[in-house]
Amino acid sequence: MRASFSWLNEFVDTGLGIEETAKLLTMAGLEIEGVEEEEGVLDVLTRPKDTLFEVNVTPNRADCLSILGIARELSALTGAPLKMPPYKVKDEGGPEINVEISDPELCRRYAGRVIKNVKIGPSPEWMKKKLEDYGIRSINNIVDITNYVLIELGHPLHAFDLNTLKGKQIIVDMAENRGKKITTLDGVERKDLPGDTLLICDAERPVAIAGVMGGADTEVKEDTRDIFLESAWFKPQGIRKTAKRLGLGSESSYRFERGADIEMVSIALDRASYLMREIAGGKPSGAVDNYPRPFRPHIISVNTVKIRKLLGAEPSNDEIFGILKRLGLNPEMDGDMIVAIPPSYRLDIDSEADIVEEVARIYGYGKIPSTLPCTEMSAGGLSEKQKFVYQAKNAFALAGYNEAINYSFMNINTLDTLGLQMEDPRRLAVKVLNPLREEDAFLRTTLIPSLLENLRYNFTRGIKDIRLFEIARVFVPIPPVRRVLIEGQPGQLPFEPLRLGGCFFREKSYLFWKEPEEDFYRAKGALEEFFDAVKIPDRDYRQGTEPFLHPGKSADIFIGGRRAGYIGALTPTLKEAFEIKAKEDAIIFELDLDLVFESLPGTPVFRQIPKFPAIERDIAVIVGEHIKAGDVLAEIRNYPSPYIEDASIFDLYKGDKIEKGKKSLAFNIRYRSTEKTLTEDEIEEVHRGLVKHLLSATGGILRA
Amino acid sequence: MEDPSRLTREFLEELGTKKTVGEIEELRVKYLGKKGTVTEKLKSLARLAPDERREAGRLLNDFKALAERELALKKEDARRRELASKLASEAIDVSLPGIFRRPGRLHPVTLVMSEIIRIFTGMGFTVEEGPEVELDHYNFEALNIPKEHPARDMQDTFYISSDIVLRTHTSPVQVRVLEKKKPPLRFIAPGKVYRCDADVSHTPMFHQIEGMMVGENVTFANLKAVLEAFLHKVFSPQVPVRFRPSYFPFTEPSAEVDIGCIFCGGAGCGICKGTGWIEILGSGMVNPRVFELAGLDPRNISGFAFGMGMERIAMLKYGIDDLRLFFENDIRFLGQF
Repeated sequence: MRASFSWLNEFVDTGLGIEETAKLLTMAGLEIEGVEEEEGVLDVLTRPKDTLFEVNVTPNRADCLSILGIARELSALTGAPLKMPPYKVKDEGGPEINVEISDPELCRRYAGRVIKNVKIGPSPEWMKKKLEDYGIRSINNIVDITNYVLIELGHPLHAFDLNTLKGKQIIVDMAENRGKKITTLDGVERKDLPGDTLLICDAERPVAIAGVMGGADTEVKEDTRDIFLESAWFKPQGIRKTAKRLGLGSESSYRFERGADIEMVSIALDRASYLMREIAGGKPSGAVDNYPRPFRPHIISVNTVKIRKLLGAEPSNDEIFGILKRLGLNPEMDGDMIVAIPPSYRLDIDSEADIVEEVARIYGYGKIPSTLPCTEMSAGGLSEKQKFVYQAKNAFALAGYNEAINYSFMNINTLDTLGLQMEDPRRLAVKVLNPLREEDAFLRTTLIPSLLENLRYNFTRGIKDIRLFEIARVFVPIPPVRRVLIEGQPGQLPFEPLRLGGCFFREKSYLFWKEPEEDFYRAKGALEEFFDAVKIPDRDYRQGTEPFLHPGKSADIFIGGRRAGYIGALTPTLKEAFEIKAKEDAIIFELDLDLVFESLPGTPVFRQIPKFPAIERDIAVIVGEHIKAGDVLAEIRNYPSPYIEDASIFDLYKGDKIEKGKKSLAFNIRYRSTEKTLTEDEIEEVHRGLVKHLLSATGGILRA
Repeated sequence: MEDPSRLTREFLEELGTKKTVGEIEELRVKYLGKKGTVTEKLKSLARLAPDERREAGRLLNDFKALAERELALKKEDARRRELASKLASEAIDVSLPGIFRRPGRLHPVTLVMSEIIRIFTGMGFTVEEGPEVELDHYNFEALNIPKEHPARDMQDTFYISSDIVLRTHTSPVQVRVLEKKKPPLRFIAPGKVYRCDADVSHTPMFHQIEGMMVGENVTFANLKAVLEAFLHKVFSPQVPVRFRPSYFPFTEPSAEVDIGCIFCGGAGCGICKGTGWIEILGSGMVNPRVFELAGLDPRNISGFAFGMGMERIAMLKYGIDDLRLFFENDIRFLGQF
């Protein structure tokens, strides 16, 4: 809401300067978001220099959507008296029009007046200036006066061309009873209004959408002579619904949906009538005022002790009483009890908490002390799961990965690009009814589409080292089967499992220290570091099954026998689809973090540091190329000897020195007993047994 | 017997020509070894008269001591030189890069969020979570924002169905916790929130932290003190904090909290739009209706609640000037924090 300083001064003379006024209003809850000095003006007499306030009026303060309202607030804050503009109107004769309200709940009051012989013409300069200051274009004196009063007193009015109204009759009724067709002032023909749209109708047809916009047929034009001026009160929820549905927000609907002042109906009508007589030479006739639901004020009693207790401040009874009095809340005080009766324009005040708020904001938030609470101690802190998530983030950061955060949306077509099967559960996604873009219409069921976009974004900008991870929830709709079971209970929310996703790409030619390894192992290494950091003991990498990953360079990850995720190089097709034009592989991975969390072992139990020495033996076996090193290692580790403490792989060889189609794997095995120093003979016996077992299990031979 | 001083002279001459540790060792063997010159000469002493023998023996021993000393010195010297040349030959180019894996960085939102979490958990707050896809009931109704309430305009909402939304704020967690746990309570609720809005200053997803403290005697003065303490930790102990009245349907009285502009020190600049103040969070005393809607009796308890946007705080803290950077995931951005 824009309010000029000079107009406010017409209503209340506080004697305060511009900055003081702005600060006073801001600190009372009417935030001045902007202060605009009006540009230099040519004609100083008609357009004196002025200052405009941009006032942020919160949705509860409909009463401040006018110059009067803001001035009233200034008056309460400073004690300066409020001056009303003249509005007593001389009228002649009785009302020449009949008003009928079909549902008094939706329209609690409808007043109006016929004004004859108006001379349509331009508005005076002072009025034009005030309208322009607010941001409304001047049209003609009659329309301008309705807008002027709207800004001045905050009450929306509408002027009809009297001679276009049929049957001297106004009926306030629903569209379903009176016809669903109207062409509104904006020139749009609305053919099928919802049945519960409240309309203003004449004897034959709708002439306005109540509180929202007038009809084109009954508009005040250059040749209009007589008008019917409407001032009414409509139910906020109904107006809001209609304005939203039709996409027709207006200055009127904005005020009605926040709650107009029902007692202002007749004053605004009179004020506009007065101005029409003064400015347009019109002759007002007697007003009609159909007021089936008169205003009934709330009566609120509050205990000042409670106010002080809640605020933690000490305003005295007299101070509290004085604040409520200046706000026009008609307080009566009896000891610590105050009864307040808010006026019709303060629809927002209907409970004790509202009174506390009024007291607090006028008393001044700055005067309330800062007192740290005294309270029970409690452990506080993060849950184990929350700590785990931070652990995961730190592990990946240490492994060289930057943390990405993507929107939770995905383009459902990307799932086709990924080549997911039709029955893949990731195709069952939660749909947003009103997405910003069609590409963002679904919630993610996997983090991969976002990470591929990140890869593309960075690669196409010439970045040669891209390591990113993201931890976020994905959204899994309740499966249809369960949806049937819960029929009749709407509002089933999707599951929100936690995922970790990542991508790796590095152009090797730009690395100083060359790394000959497959990139797969670099990325896998980061996963291993993470698993190691959170102490997941056994993870198993099996042949990958994801359609978007290179079948020979991908693995499904199993923890405790359950599939916890996957890692692998993108297929060439996918690489191309995401514009990764490089010979190096792009590796991606995704983990089910809930599953990883569930698989965490408990607190570690201390084991004695070995008292006896270990003895190490190496073994190199030549096996078929298809044999997995991990399987061979598992054979060693699972060999039934209490002396095998650990084993690790230290060499892989393929090449001229051995038969084609074979590879050599070398392992280091550490033997130790917890009870004694092992002798060479004892070790030799176990080692021979192990070698024999290994060769038969792998079909391999010892490498000479 | 020959003149021992000649022997000494010859030895020293010879020693002067030796360079390496090996040559010096050879010379030692020649003179002092088992079959060396000194041994030979000692043997030949037997042929001398006792007086002469004593004198000659003494001279030989003198020579031996001198030779040993000279040899050791020369040898040490040679060893030092040889080591130095070996080390010199092993020199590498120390200006080449270290073998080092550059650590990745956490997202600035995560950094700010965890800092705030640390501050509040330090004050005994727990950390609660709630669903991102939320019932209209928790996101609006139970927070005293009924359907057709103008306050719904404050938050453009993504709808999943008529009664399911993407949460527009973290405030629904307040209600979920109030329904589940008994006061006294103090917790924060960080997380993602969604608004159907995208322009220079709005993204459809962003992050908030909600906070709540409920008990028998929680006051507005407590709200002020806790939030001041918090803001002094996040920004600086000197930063001015002001509370001004505002409106949220779920708090009453409500307060918008501003800090003195950290860029101009309150003098007024482009970032604070000339006001000298920067809006940093929304807060207020829990509206008794929210307690009622959560099934609690508002006569016995009171509380305060607050909420703030993480991106906004990160922008202020790191001087980031474009909101969209947070979600582009450009490595050149992410790597800076």
